[in-house]
Amino acid sequence: MVVMRSTRRGFMAGTLAGAGALALPRLARAQAERRGGTLVVAADGEPRNLNPALIASNGVFYVASKVIEPLAEMVYGGDGLAPRLATAWEGSADGRSVRLTLREGVTWHDGRPFSSADVAWTAMNAWKPLQNLGRIVFRDLEAVDTPDARTAILRFSRPVPFQLVRNALPALSAVLPRHLYEGTDPNANPANARLVGTGPFRFAEHRPGEFYRLERNPAYWEANRPFLDAIVYRVMPDRGAIAAALEANQIQLAAFSAVPLADLERIGKVPGVKVIPEGYEGITYQLTVEINHRRRELADPRVRRAIAHAIDRDFVVDTIFLGYAKASNGPIPKFDAQFHVADLPGTPFDVRRANALLDEAGFPRGANGTRFALRLLPAPWFEQTRQFGDYLRQALRAVGIDAQVVNNDSAAHTRAVYTTHEFDLAVGSPVYRNDPAISTTILFQGGLPAGVPFSNQYGYDNPAMNAVIDRAAGAVDAAGRTAAYRAFQRIAAEDVPLVNVAEFTFITVARDSVRNVANNPRWATSHWADTWLAE
Amino acid sequence: MRDVLAVLRTPEGAIGSGVLILMVAAALLAPVLAPGDPLAIVGRPLRLPLADPRFPLGTDRLGRDVLTGLLHGARSTLGTGAAVMAAALLLGGAVGTIAGYLGGAADEVLMRIADAVQTVPGFVLALAIVSVAGPTQPAILLALTAGAWTGPARVVRAEVMALRSRPFVDASRLLGRHPLAIAFGGVLPNALGPLLALAPIVVAGAMLSEAALTFLGLGDPNVATWGAMIAEGRAVLRTAPHVIVAPGLAVAVAVLAVSLLGEGMQRAAARRT
Repeated sequence: MVVMRSTRRGFMAGTLAGAGALALPRLARAQAERRGGTLVVAADGEPRNLNPALIASNGVFYVASKVIEPLAEMVYGGDGLAPRLATAWEGSADGRSVRLTLREGVTWHDGRPFSSADVAWTAMNAWKPLQNLGRIVFRDLEAVDTPDARTAILRFSRPVPFQLVRNALPALSAVLPRHLYEGTDPNANPANARLVGTGPFRFAEHRPGEFYRLERNPAYWEANRPFLDAIVYRVMPDRGAIAAALEANQIQLAAFSAVPLADLERIGKVPGVKVIPEGYEGITYQLTVEINHRRRELADPRVRRAIAHAIDRDFVVDTIFLGYAKASNGPIPKFDAQFHVADLPGTPFDVRRANALLDEAGFPRGANGTRFALRLLPAPWFEQTRQFGDYLRQALRAVGIDAQVVNNDSAAHTRAVYTTHEFDLAVGSPVYRNDPAISTTILFQGGLPAGVPFSNQYGYDNPAMNAVIDRAAGAVDAAGRTAAYRAFQRIAAEDVPLVNVAEFTFITVARDSVRNVANNPRWATSHWADTWLAE
Repeated sequence: MRDVLAVLRTPEGAIGSGVLILMVAAALLAPVLAPGDPLAIVGRPLRLPLADPRFPLGTDRLGRDVLTGLLHGARSTLGTGAAVMAAALLLGGAVGTIAGYLGGAADEVLMRIADAVQTVPGFVLALAIVSVAGPTQPAILLALTAGAWTGPARVVRAEVMALRSRPFVDASRLLGRHPLAIAFGGVLPNALGPLLALAPIVVAGAMLSEAALTFLGLGDPNVATWGAMIAEGRAVLRTAPHVIVAPGLAVAVAVLAVSLLGEGMQRAAARRT
């Protein structure tokens, strides 16, 4: 019933906003935050395991980040980090330890106090051995000292750049309640489905196929937060239904581009609904062409460069992403000013140059105008990765390469590309996670065993590239580390081991009544303590 | 020939076969009417129908011509329908004739196999086969035939069982002809009528299933298909409905035409008796 009432109110607000579209938003910003209300949002999946300390993925964070908090969160501006469970972080000069100062007066949702022992246990038993990303960043974590309840000191067996640890805090440092996990198998703990955390919302209920419900944590450590009484995630696998539910104000928000890009222009004109492209900078995806260097033709850097020249990045951005993406020039996105090199020698769209390079490499056109044939495997992750596969097939035809598209489901695609290498070209969408060492250099590093998903399974192995990646991994000082990653981008631009085509994030569509949306670079996966619903 | 004319004389038969002939002609002439790769990007994306004389039915999300896609897609859908019909009638006819004429253990074994296949819905069976064998044209034909042969087999078996005690069969047997020669040379031709009446049902089912499989992405992605066009158009349903309406109508009209032809055949057969 409560939901019904807020529906009608929301509709009225929406109509008003439509009438005074210019005046009202400014007025609204001045309006004081309102406590109360239930925010209903769309969820297009239901992760079986919701534990963010074990599975660092956006699908898990979307729900879990409101319940289980990390040590720090990303913010716009400043030094990029805002305190959460930690209030200060400091790395030693030798790179062997990181000192974390923890927040006072925090309690778990079951009433037990939060302390450094929770951080120590989670780091050693979840992040380092079990978490998909923590396994890389915390590989050399040796021990966590807890001199007192408010201090945790991470000790590493080899120097680890503090810059990397810092950049990893928002996504990798969710803290678990030790008293519920100690002595159990973390992967099988019932608290993975019924989360217990320190966050602004408590886990209330999950009805499979219907909804998750989170309710306000009255004992939250930040006074007068959160504003919302509850958040309900309605499970809606059909994207058309999500757009319709937003228009009818049955849900107030849909994140992660749940509304198809092609529908955004239309729905943005619906009174009371707004399209918000911000709030995902911290989780930038990259559209890439993955290349199997084991193929004789593709082992030649001129052929790889020709493929890069054959792609019209403007077409990809304007037509496939409908403008909601940026053309990419290399492995580090523009958003990350810390590392990004703007003046890399690019591979602009140039069909004549591509044809010349292919001729030069010794692959002339045959009688039917074709130079050679390739298998092209578009990843099934996004509508855009599949569409780009269709586009790439046409783009390659223009330079005389006959690409045959092979569609696979997720499991078969991952196996073909990352284990059995039964592909020539693939379309991938790796995530850039605020530091090249977390999930980016692994796409370029040689000598990895087969079967590691989302890694260099391309047969690319350049000693100079491996050396610069190693140098950066051991560089304790931020300046030296940054310099190494700049060199890394130059080698990548030289060799073209894979082609970076575009970088894209997601779009949120929300009712005007939802306030404080997209106010940090990981908003959809942050805690929403300051989100509120206008009348 | 007289039978064909009888079918054409019924209104259903006339309309159905007329539409079908047009569609088959369009499919056969697709490389002439719309030469080149039907998946080529030829214009601005999402042009509305009639907005540009080059694209009378508009363009899709990547700028591919919808009309070209329809013409080439007809080859896939109609071709699959015809091939599955031929395969299912041949296989079903053979199985039904053997089971019905020989009876006994052969009948038991063959009909229990048919029973087993029939317990699984045809489309689910096709999904399973294509998922395992991979989305290739031969796999799709095999998958659709696997679910379509049981109906013809049962019909033929019943006809053959009714025919096998006729005097002309006894006469053949006394002349010492081989039982299989009698079954296929003497009995089956007399059971062809009901078998052919099943053909349109098999074709219509196969065309719908082919469209559904390609809609689900289980078709050959390098070939234009109506199902794949519908799947593509789903994302722009609200903003550019022509992308989904055109192939959707094509599927509906094709299936309707085949069904009407089937109706016509039944009505013509009823008039004759």
